[in-house]
Amino acid sequence: MAEYIKYVDVTKCDGCRACMVACKNWNDLPAEPEEFQGSVQSHAKVTANTWNVLSFIEHEDSKGNLDYLFRHSSCFHCSEAACVKVCPENAMHYTDFGTVNVDSDKCVGCGYCVQNCPFDVVQLATYKDKNGKEYKKAQKCTMCVDRLEEGMQPACVTTCHTDAMEFGTKEEMLKKAEKRLSEIKDKYPNAMIYNPEGVGGTHTIYVLAEKPSVYGLPEKPKVPTSAVVWKDYAQPIGKMMLGATSMALVGAFVSNKLFNKEGKGHEEEGGGSHE
Amino acid sequence: MKKREVAAMSKTQYSGVKVKRFSKGFVIAHAVNAISFFALYITALPMYTEWFDWLYPVLGGPEGARLLHRIFAIAFIMPTFIWLIMDPKGFFRWGKELVTWKKRDLQFFTEFVKELFGFKFKHVKQTFFNAGEKINSIIQILTAILIIGSGFPMWFPDLFPKAVVQWAYVAHNVGFGLAIAVVVGHIYLSVIHKNSRPGYTGVITGEVPAEWAKDHYTEWYEEEVKKGNFPDLDKDKKKKKGA
Amino acid sequence: MTNHWSDLQNTDCALIMGGNPAENHPISFRWLTKAKEKGGKIVSVDPRFTRTSSKADVYASLRSGTDIAFMGGMINYALEKNMIHKEYVAEYTNASYLVKEDYEFNDGLFSGYDKAARKYDKTKWAFETDEEGNPVKDKTLSHPRSVFQLLKKHYSRYDVDSVIAVTGTPKEDYLKVCEEFCSTGKPGKSGTIMYAMGTTQHTVGTQNVRAFGIIQLLLGNMGLPGGGINAMRGESNVQGSTDFGLLYHLLTGYVGTPTAIPEHATLDGYNKKETPAGGYWSNKPKFLVSLLKAWYGPNATKDNEFGYHFLPKGNKNYSHINLFNAMYKGELEGAFLFGTNPVVGGPNAGKEKEALSNLKWMVAVDLWETETSAFWQEEAGSDPSKIDTEVFLLPAASSYEKEGSVSNSSRWMQYRWKAIDPKGESLADLEIIHMMVKHLKALYKNESSPAAKQFNAVDWNYGGGDHPDIDLVAREINGYDLTTGQLLKTFGDLKDDGTTSSGNWIYCGFYPEEGMNRSKNRDNKDTGGGNFLNWAYAWPANRRILYNRASADPSGKPWSKDKAVIWWDGIQQKWVGNDIPDFKPTVAPADPGGTAPFIMINGGLGGLFAPTLNDGPFPEHYEPFESPVKNAFSSQEINPAIAIIEGEFNLKGDSKKYPIVGTTYRVSEHWQSGSMTRNQEWLSELAGHMYIEMSEELAKEKGIKNKDQIIVSSARGEIKAYAMVTKRFKPHMMKGKMVHQVGMPWHFGYKGYATGDTANRLTPHIGDANTTIPEYKAFLCDIRRAD
Repeated sequence: MAEYIKYVDVTKCDGCRACMVACKNWNDLPAEPEEFQGSVQSHAKVTANTWNVLSFIEHEDSKGNLDYLFRHSSCFHCSEAACVKVCPENAMHYTDFGTVNVDSDKCVGCGYCVQNCPFDVVQLATYKDKNGKEYKKAQKCTMCVDRLEEGMQPACVTTCHTDAMEFGTKEEMLKKAEKRLSEIKDKYPNAMIYNPEGVGGTHTIYVLAEKPSVYGLPEKPKVPTSAVVWKDYAQPIGKMMLGATSMALVGAFVSNKLFNKEGKGHEEEGGGSHE
Repeated sequence: MKKREVAAMSKTQYSGVKVKRFSKGFVIAHAVNAISFFALYITALPMYTEWFDWLYPVLGGPEGARLLHRIFAIAFIMPTFIWLIMDPKGFFRWGKELVTWKKRDLQFFTEFVKELFGFKFKHVKQTFFNAGEKINSIIQILTAILIIGSGFPMWFPDLFPKAVVQWAYVAHNVGFGLAIAVVVGHIYLSVIHKNSRPGYTGVITGEVPAEWAKDHYTEWYEEEVKKGNFPDLDKDKKKKKGA
Repeated sequence: MTNHWSDLQNTDCALIMGGNPAENHPISFRWLTKAKEKGGKIVSVDPRFTRTSSKADVYASLRSGTDIAFMGGMINYALEKNMIHKEYVAEYTNASYLVKEDYEFNDGLFSGYDKAARKYDKTKWAFETDEEGNPVKDKTLSHPRSVFQLLKKHYSRYDVDSVIAVTGTPKEDYLKVCEEFCSTGKPGKSGTIMYAMGTTQHTVGTQNVRAFGIIQLLLGNMGLPGGGINAMRGESNVQGSTDFGLLYHLLTGYVGTPTAIPEHATLDGYNKKETPAGGYWSNKPKFLVSLLKAWYGPNATKDNEFGYHFLPKGNKNYSHINLFNAMYKGELEGAFLFGTNPVVGGPNAGKEKEALSNLKWMVAVDLWETETSAFWQEEAGSDPSKIDTEVFLLPAASSYEKEGSVSNSSRWMQYRWKAIDPKGESLADLEIIHMMVKHLKALYKNESSPAAKQFNAVDWNYGGGDHPDIDLVAREINGYDLTTGQLLKTFGDLKDDGTTSSGNWIYCGFYPEEGMNRSKNRDNKDTGGGNFLNWAYAWPANRRILYNRASADPSGKPWSKDKAVIWWDGIQQKWVGNDIPDFKPTVAPADPGGTAPFIMINGGLGGLFAPTLNDGPFPEHYEPFESPVKNAFSSQEINPAIAIIEGEFNLKGDSKKYPIVGTTYRVSEHWQSGSMTRNQEWLSELAGHMYIEMSEELAKEKGIKNKDQIIVSSARGEIKAYAMVTKRFKPHMMKGKMVHQVGMPWHFGYKGYATGDTANRLTPHIGDANTTIPEYKAFLCDIRRAD
């Protein structure tokens, strides 16, 4: 299947936040009122029940020109996703669309994904079972995979009235982004396409008007080195070591049976004392 | 049939004279350590490998497993303090021995491998702890530090910088990997390997057969004999032979 | 709107002033974004750098309440720099008319002013006419008493430096705005002006819009695609409700309400006084009689002047402010409040709440219990034991729970179907009124009092039972030929002899035959020019761009190919194009009146000079009711024609005590007083806190940090809110004097999920000279830290 991506052109966004409501509506997520943020931004960042947050940034450029920037922030759906890498239960997985989703049946709520996401977009949601016992599941933007499967587009994209968000094949969207970038370079000399290589590219790509850090994004995000060490080296080696030790002991047990049938092996004089 | 014979033989191996090897403090500390280690192992196992996912329902779901893991994590921290408080002398001797390394400690290993695989070997004179146990202790101490130290950021990720938490996962994993490897050997020797099996009973009752103690920890045994704490087995043997 | 939402994509420049569509009318940005992609520019003028400003190519700030100074300067700029569309001005506006010598303007006052009554004698502003009553013209526009020369003279006082000394706009920004927007004066270019309550909610609100009209006529932007004056309405059906007589001085279809003056004593008298000699309003008697036939049916006969006498005639101003003043004084016994929440939304809301307690009874019809229907509760700060008002709360169905039409800012009447059944006992407004009327009719049946007469005369036939047949209502609005019983096809067929009926003449034709309710049209194919003629129904006559005759030059050719809407087809001998011509389709350019596009006006020419408004034929700058500075343009501080209520009900703040300019506005997530949206969890989480926006400079001066709790006070009251310190507000520099401004949303109250103090506790009870719309947008206040 062709890879699909969500293309966000922040320069077209007018900050209406219909994407936030559409997301909650489609995914049936509860409201999470937060404290006053000191700006019109509603939530400090995405949470387990608020999968996309519109961030509002007042930015003064080096010439003192004021700009008011908006960014729809949600899961990036990395091609090499740290969350998938560290998930011990294979709950985090890649879908046929190339996006990253949580299999809630498998998720045990360990939160490894939360700690390893380079974009800080995965969080644990707390639920209660029928006995009132609390349990946790990782939650984040699903790219509305249930809609994709029906040939529809993500709810946020459908609701966006300025077409600041589009959804389509990777090739087509990247082409659009390139074209848009060339159009806005005059107005925004720092404009760029944000599709970081450190995570193998993403399935939510942005045309940003300013440097990523202005939007609170990492300039060069990557899968944490610790995650690579842990999952690609430490864990396989650890498992190997456990296997090796176990095998050595099985060997020892067997060899004892073969060579030390009498329980003797003592050369010392007092060897017989074992008798 | 064969097994029973071996078992019967081992029963008759020693004279029946027992000497006190481990203090009550050590016995308790060791037990807490061992039980919590295995509990931690089991409660983490379904997350470590999906072969053991069936353990989740047994442990009360992921939440139950997590809760148990945290309870046993606390228990896992305790042994050091138990031993220190109940048997400070033994604790410090242990500490001292761990940092004391002599030529005989190195010799021990060549012989140990032979013993392990059931070949002919000879006892190298050892103090209270033999070199193998010292290695075991050192690795366990290091891995415990790794595991406990990394456990805190994992438990309370909000209190630590993200990078610390991320590396904690690695440390926990490495610590555990090393620990389990050593533990498997440690247990094998104590429970299955017949030459060292009396140590297993010893760590539970605190007492071991005198002959076995003398063979395995000659230097310590002899010291204790000098102090008049333990019977001089050589004297007995000579007597027997002479008789 | 003279144009419509999807037409915004055709603009070369959108001047957005007195509105913040990116936040409050976001859908407009769908079309503005398309315009930008085609090279269109956006100019944003606002006291605060808004989300609209962030999308604009040019931004300029101004002090709230100085719009006429700003626009007057632009008019002067366009005239001085010769950027106007000359042919358009000469041919399509009344620039060439001569004004009688009575007209004068001195130090802020037009001739005919009666100081005691605070009123003008408008006959002093009349046009010169020949013997036949036709206006005398000077097509060279050089006569000193020509409208053009008077306009030039009037606005010559609005030079750039004088203007920015009043508005506080940085000069560079001001010039950029003028240059950008006036460049649409080139033939073939079009510019639109988009505005909302930031323009209208002033003591000079009507004149603010007039100023827009003047510049648009000068630049030749009326009637063109991507042009026009476009009022962005604040609620989905506020257009519909004003069309249907919501305003106190208008009956349905913008026919003036008869008042208790001798001329209005009879229908003939009314018609004589209110019907102009020319222009489409010369048909007013047909509209009124057809309306009376719709209301009174067989009880409207020629003999009883078609029931004209059933209409109540008063001699007062029945605007919101005055109704509440009457209530405050104990002159009103009862009130029906349909979906309105004055305790949050009314000016000087604290006083409005007090006024409610003077009512004997109040019926509130709303989706939720609002701050208004609960005004008597302890939660509202009231002492229930001291309030005798009997309050009834009728639960209403939401728009998704009922069927009917909604008319948007584009004048599109769009039918909607019921999605779900109403919850609990709630009913549609139509059902509530239906049941009430039936009940009242039954009660009055055997009475003959004046009130009973009216009720008995009302023709109420929408089916039996409690549920009216809404289709019958729709047909009645369209109207019938009463001789045949057939639905009318166009308002051109309306008659004043009682043989036709129409519940609202401007909608006549939307239901031209059985089974053809055109508001149900849903073909989203662009029929050309972005007009979507087969989507819904636009009044009048499904016309999408009003005055579209002006999109073609006098000879009937479009000013440019890009901006073609309709043109004269010489072969077919009629006007054709992408829209329904707003013109008699067979009147050729060479015919008499063939070059008079503004068909509603007598003479058909755009009114640069408008001798009809209460406060002058040209917009003139006056300071708001409360202002931090003296009027720099004249010694008239405030609009001389506004009515001022003295006393407790309308306390005025002094600029020494309250030196900061305050204004109010809305956010995307909340509607009006928030009674619907603050009861929505998903919207409440997005905009959950009452805040005051202020500049970093002001915050520093007052020792306020972002997120601090602060108190804002005015002569009317004080409120607590969070401080939002932002770079997007800058102090206004006026001739070296720094004037601070703060702004705040007015949605909050104590009910619902998102609660906060009510901004309107601060605003004054003062209204515009023509409409009495309250001056919410510019008042004086002070701020301090709450702790």
